[in-house]
Amino acid sequence: MTRARVALGTLAAAAIAATILVSPSGPAEAQKRGGTLTIVRPTDPVSLDPQLETTAPGAWVYFNMLEPLLTMDEKMQIRPALATGYEVLSPTKVRFKLRPGVKFHDGTPLNAAAVKFTFDRALRGNPPARWASLAGSLSGAEVVDDLTVDVTTREPYGPILRTLAMYCTGIVSPTAVQKMGEGFSRAPVGTGPFKFVEWKTNTHVILERNPDYWGDKALLDRVVFKVVPEEGARMIALQTGDADMVLLPAPAQLPALSRDPKYVVHEVVGGRVVFAGMNAATPPLDDVRVRTALLYAVDRKAILDNILEGSAVPARGVLAPSVFGFKDMQLDRLYPFDRAKAKALLAQAGWTPGPDGILQKGGQRLSLSWLAARGRYPKDGEITEAIQAMLKEVGVEAKVQFLEWATVFTQFRSASFNHQMFTLGWVTSNADADYSLYALFHSKQVPPTGWNTSRYANPRVDTLVEQARRSMNQTEREKLYGETQDILAKEMVWIPVYNTKEIVVTRASVKGFTVHPVEYNLWLGKTWLDK
Amino acid sequence: MLTFIARRLLLAVPVLLGVIFVVMLTVQLIPGDAVALMLGEHATPEAVARLRDYLGLDKPLLVRYVGYVGRVARGDLGRSIQQNRPVVDELADAWPATLELTCAALVISALAGVAAGVVSAVWPNSLFDGVARVGSLFGLSMPVFWTGLVLIVVFALWLPWLPVGGMGSLPHLVLPAVTLALPSLAMVARMTRSSVLEVLREDYVRTARAKGVAERLVVAKHALRNAAIPILTLLGLQAGQLMGGAVLTETVFSWPGLGRLMVKAIFARDYVLLQGAVLVFALAFVLINLAVDIAYGVLDPRIAHHG
Repeated sequence: MTRARVALGTLAAAAIAATILVSPSGPAEAQKRGGTLTIVRPTDPVSLDPQLETTAPGAWVYFNMLEPLLTMDEKMQIRPALATGYEVLSPTKVRFKLRPGVKFHDGTPLNAAAVKFTFDRALRGNPPARWASLAGSLSGAEVVDDLTVDVTTREPYGPILRTLAMYCTGIVSPTAVQKMGEGFSRAPVGTGPFKFVEWKTNTHVILERNPDYWGDKALLDRVVFKVVPEEGARMIALQTGDADMVLLPAPAQLPALSRDPKYVVHEVVGGRVVFAGMNAATPPLDDVRVRTALLYAVDRKAILDNILEGSAVPARGVLAPSVFGFKDMQLDRLYPFDRAKAKALLAQAGWTPGPDGILQKGGQRLSLSWLAARGRYPKDGEITEAIQAMLKEVGVEAKVQFLEWATVFTQFRSASFNHQMFTLGWVTSNADADYSLYALFHSKQVPPTGWNTSRYANPRVDTLVEQARRSMNQTEREKLYGETQDILAKEMVWIPVYNTKEIVVTRASVKGFTVHPVEYNLWLGKTWLDK
Repeated sequence: MLTFIARRLLLAVPVLLGVIFVVMLTVQLIPGDAVALMLGEHATPEAVARLRDYLGLDKPLLVRYVGYVGRVARGDLGRSIQQNRPVVDELADAWPATLELTCAALVISALAGVAAGVVSAVWPNSLFDGVARVGSLFGLSMPVFWTGLVLIVVFALWLPWLPVGGMGSLPHLVLPAVTLALPSLAMVARMTRSSVLEVLREDYVRTARAKGVAERLVVAKHALRNAAIPILTLLGLQAGQLMGGAVLTETVFSWPGLGRLMVKAIFARDYVLLQGAVLVFALAFVLINLAVDIAYGVLDPRIAHHG
């Protein structure tokens, strides 16, 4: 496990920090300045500009160069970044005070105009930024004075602060964008602790310390992000010392690596839930008894132990625990693995054993068609097959069709979906329940509008998630989401399987690094090398 | 000769037009939409529609085809959909890497393959011949990603002589080039062995030996030159194969070549980038074939090229 680390200087954590410093885990080591940290990961960024890239390969890099107004620490608390404070003026307007004296890497001063420029570019540009789709009701920014800016939303939008703390909302230098044009997306200019040096396509991206950083300056001289697509080759690079840090390491090697003092396995429960989804709009899965029967029929512990081998934790609901508004659905208590119970529920729903061992009702066999991709999420294919076999044990047939992701995705995206089950994963990018509960379970969010792939419809849930979205009172929102999850737990339209762990392996010489629950937030501002 | 080259190059135009059309049609027919994929699960339908409109993807296939061909004729390969970057720049990043790796692999398979084949033919059924034949079988049947990883483990991990991957200095080139060359090397060795063996049985070789020509010269001049035509044909084919088939080698050795670029384009359904990459391959194939045809004439004056 990761050693507990606490960001100093955060008020809430100060008390805990004090105890950590005197704990027997050892006094804080003297930090060393200098050196190059080499990171290997499987793919090259699409771009280094959030305008064009919101996926991890780009985010890992630009997160260290472009800073948002706010940021989310490892405990998922909102912390100031480029903004020093905020004031909610109205349900559609939040006023931010900007940090004075901050300069972009090109010398341009950070001011309210730069914030407005960044948001206009993303939200009003054509085409709109990739991250605009993640930003909910965010509509723009208004300059109040040089260091004061009002951020506006189209409608009351409770998740606004978490949205502005998202990894992809970093403020960009207006002069650099104007000067570089399209070239900006390959050499971004922000305010972060590292600045851009070089990007050789499919080879590496190099960053170096920003000597004029407004906060604690980075300890590393340079960071090199190398592309090593092959998992085995990445692990060998770590062993030979060609790499100091591996992103997306080979799960099978983790037990051995964590026993070896030459390496440190950093891990934390992440934000992605991988699940077997059920299509609640069509028979037989429109019957809640059948759906819950499938939950009883699946031995999730066996899947976790035998297939995922410690590289994930059991899902505790439809959200990850790091998400604001998460409520533990207590799935193991509500739906323990119990085949007799599953069979009883199916019998209650009128399904009786047929001649071939598959249940049937009115001459109709209980056969479910299932769409899945392989390799999109860790072990998704294996999990699908395992559940298929477990369902067979209670007389339910699953016909799985494995297709390549682009094809699967197109079917999900279309208005008509001709399968009863599917395998998917979902990450709550802004760590606010709104992001998932609204888009995944609101009845109006059926694709192509949203991502309610289960075609779930419950007027009460609609009301709750709408209300929670519009409320600015976070305690109230948390309560509303709690009720939403209570309802969802009773009417399950997913078989939640696992919650990803974010795992990063480093050589033991890498210090001051903490893996963040949000997979995109790879922060190297405090990392240093002891060699 | 010049008219011959000019005519062959002109003939390449319809080939390239056809290639573009097939690529465009294939991307159109296979499921998956570049824009929806790019914007992901979270995209609103309006965002998808706006981006599709911006990229001109809502136009009919033929309109896009004609437009694309017109732009290519003016030297504009368009902008990649996903990166929004000129395709020319993307290709320029990857092309030198592919050229370097292909040439190195071709040189290795030609030199080592021909040498091994000749030795096997001169001393058939010797110990060397036996080892070479088993080795060829091995080289042909082992998958590249397996040999690649084994080579990395041996030469980068156990014996830290060579880098694990990446492109840069000459040592970086060794492992990927050898890995990529192995199957072709095996094929060239087998082909050389059989054609040299055949030629060595010819009357003129017996005559040459009878009049006292040194065995070295007999093999090098009389036998090998006459056996060269099929070997050359094979090398021409292999050159294309090595270039297009390097994606696994590129993946194992983190080599920033065209193969990986193309696979990336396919998964993203980025047809603009894909077309650019395919055009480069098609053009290279045409040029390699032309070079092989010209070399035939040089090696064997009986094969003349008439304009």
